Amino acid sequence: MEIEIQGYQVQTDFFEGPLDLLLHLIRKNKMKIVEIRLSQITAEYLAYLENKKGINPSRESDFLTTAATLIYIKSRSLLPKPEDPGEESPEKKLIHTLIEYEKIQKISKMLQDMEYTELLLWRRLEIDENFTNREYALKEVSAFQLAEIFFDIIKKKENEQFLYISSKNYSIAEKQEEILSLLKKNVFIDFSEYMSKLDSIEEILVSFFTLLELIKRHLLIAVQEQLFGTISIYPNQVGRLEN
Amino acid sequence: MNPEPIIYQIAMIEAILFVSKEPVEPGRIMEFLEIKDIGEFEKLLAIMEKEHLQDRPERGLLLKRSGGGLQLVTKPELHDELKAFFTIKQSTKLSLASLETLSIIAYRQPTTLAEISDMRGVNSTGPVKSLLQKKLIKITGRKKVPGLPLLYATTQEFLIYFGLNDMTELPSLEELTELFEEKEQPSLFK
Repeated sequence: MEIEIQGYQVQTDFFEGPLDLLLHLIRKNKMKIVEIRLSQITAEYLAYLENKKGINPSRESDFLTTAATLIYIKSRSLLPKPEDPGEESPEKKLIHTLIEYEKIQKISKMLQDMEYTELLLWRRLEIDENFTNREYALKEVSAFQLAEIFFDIIKKKENEQFLYISSKNYSIAEKQEEILSLLKKNVFIDFSEYMSKLDSIEEILVSFFTLLELIKRHLLIAVQEQLFGTISIYPNQVGRLEN
Repeated sequence: MNPEPIIYQIAMIEAILFVSKEPVEPGRIMEFLEIKDIGEFEKLLAIMEKEHLQDRPERGLLLKRSGGGLQLVTKPELHDELKAFFTIKQSTKLSLASLETLSIIAYRQPTTLAEISDMRGVNSTGPVKSLLQKKLIKITGRKKVPGLPLLYATTQEFLIYFGLNDMTELPSLEELTELFEEKEQPSLFK
């Protein structure tokens, strides 16, 4: 193996993926996608992979998958085989994917231009998000967002060692009482804080379902005060919250 | 109240938009101002848009229709100065991966992660997650195929972010092909 020292290189522009690299090679060779000479492209593609030039290391497996497809297509073309008209050949499939991907790239470019034009126009929101700590308009969160935080907490809990086995059984009815009385004492419950204080995964599960149930019945409302902020649970009558 | 209704109405529209953080639905303003005819309302908007804002270099704002609503935004030529005043170094832009993922979702919605990854040729969990956090896409349900994968679609924030009033403002796939073909011709002479 030869080792070349080429000085310090900073590679910032990776190919987004194998399709991006393939399109680059096709353009470089001034081919049209439908008239692609796959053997030539395959050789060049593999050369890129070998040098890891422009290959995002975290996506290497995706690049390898496509390399396998290319080699498979090449080997198929060497074997005499009656063409089955009903079956879509991997070659046609790849070409189709490339044509579609080229469109995606163009749409992305268009969106990027639109983004650029829009970024020149400032809205009220931008200042709010970046600078002031004024009270944010409360945004109601969806069950999916609630679930995401819930799984984070479960993960954290799983890493903790429990020293005792809880023999207590939790029921949704009891939890409901507990949560509602807690809300009478406090104005709101911080979802993450409340969940992480609970003893066992079982209790977390029961509490989570209780909350979902109460939200579904419109007794409680879950709101997020800012993007990525904590989620708070309020009794629903607190206000007609903006949505 | 002002004896001249049009002046009062335009002043009210401007005041409402000034206070609002998000685009305001035209219907709500019309109802409040008791304007029945959309043509009449549009006329007011046109006066405000052109004579009061766009054609007046001493004004720093524009009227913008985005996400189906009306909004006041700053004039594009003031961007750099605003950045300096508020000491913002770089406006955050979407990554190429996010843009590609959004392109697929915008044109094939509702769509699944598997479809997105398939079309991009790379696993797209990362960009989908970041777009969800940015609220540019949302989960609309599950596809009724084995595994019940989640379905994703674009949001109103998507429209606002890209300055679109509604989804029909995006060129159709056929129009896109024509558009790109026209654009590409000059490159033949490179």
